[in-house]
Amino acid sequence: MNVNAPAFTRDLLRATVGLSRFDPLDRLLYYTDFGDGHGGFTETIGNYEGTLDTILPGMDFRPPMLSNYTMWDTGTAGSMQGSYALKLATRPLAGSVTAATKRLTWRTLGKVRLECFFGIKSEATEMILTETDVRAFGILFDLQSGDRRLLPRLRYLNAEHGKLVGQWQIKTDHPKKHAIGGSGKTASISHYAPVGYTAIPGARQELCQNELPTKMNWHYLAATFDLAAMRFTEVRCNDCVYDPSGIAPFELPVWPNLRGLLNTIFFVETAVDKRAFLYLDSVCFSAAD
Amino acid sequence: MATLRESYTAVVARNVDLVDVWATEPHECAWAGEALFFVRVLAAGGKKKQVVRAHVQVSPDGMHWADEGRTLSVPPRAGVSFVRVSHFGGWLRLAGKAPAGSKLRVMIYLVLKA
Repeated sequence: MNVNAPAFTRDLLRATVGLSRFDPLDRLLYYTDFGDGHGGFTETIGNYEGTLDTILPGMDFRPPMLSNYTMWDTGTAGSMQGSYALKLATRPLAGSVTAATKRLTWRTLGKVRLECFFGIKSEATEMILTETDVRAFGILFDLQSGDRRLLPRLRYLNAEHGKLVGQWQIKTDHPKKHAIGGSGKTASISHYAPVGYTAIPGARQELCQNELPTKMNWHYLAATFDLAAMRFTEVRCNDCVYDPSGIAPFELPVWPNLRGLLNTIFFVETAVDKRAFLYLDSVCFSAAD
Repeated sequence: MATLRESYTAVVARNVDLVDVWATEPHECAWAGEALFFVRVLAAGGKKKQVVRAHVQVSPDGMHWADEGRTLSVPPRAGVSFVRVSHFGGWLRLAGKAPAGSKLRVMIYLVLKA
């Protein structure tokens, strides 16, 4: 089955500034370049019941914001398309993570493709290139079909222990589930912990980190996921194409009240006591039946 | 067709205790023309029940901060206080120094509108 957009649709996309950069599947579910708003991406936090004290440690993330990429040395750079990008920022604490979510449900269990133009940087508090500050970033789907529950996650491990790594990974180990409150309706898993990942074969890639802590370059990323097979089928980043289909993302028992769930989530992690940033110039999410 | 004004509420502190010297995380908001900080007191603890004074701060780069001039007094009891801000450039945060022995558990919202 050809799941890419038909020729006449592709011609229309090619003629549309902004969308022509993407290679979506047959049906566009959403597209935003953050030029006129936050595009429906919201702050993510761990589940709670009765009191906010029940949120798991490490799941108290910060809100996304619109950034025009203003630096102390050169002023405003703007985004790839226009002036504003969505920015995710960690706290200035090693291991801190931040995530932003757009909450959807699926209509058919076909293929979905999440594409974006992204950039990563840490806060420019030093006058040297600090390319190992950002520990990792990535995307995940939070989903439940009729009988399966998964949080399939693609992660780029940028750096570890002060050294560049540049490895694309899939989370395969099952994080521990914690009951929240006493109703039996709420649970939480600390699935952002930096453990339990499996490297995608051959998927080691160097990104353009530039020369200064204030200079950032936009990259393209596309992840295709098959909701029937529950596997990532392809990962593309700029000129590199990887096959993650041999790796099974970790799976959980189905939860109550979640049938139809299909959240699209972006996250970023810091390796040091410095804020790490993930910038999203634009995001395109598409599906094929 | 008229374009609606973008608006956005950022929870810049959630279930946080205001003790000692504190500041919210920097928030980029060059797109906005007006802002309010709301401080909602969830609980007043500590040995001394005292008003906590908060200062609106602005920054050219999100790293170096100056008092904007507007302040907010947060009473030591459950409730909501707010301060309005405009003409703030690209970054905002709320900062303060809690009196010794005072502890307010709060939610802090930054409400932005184009």
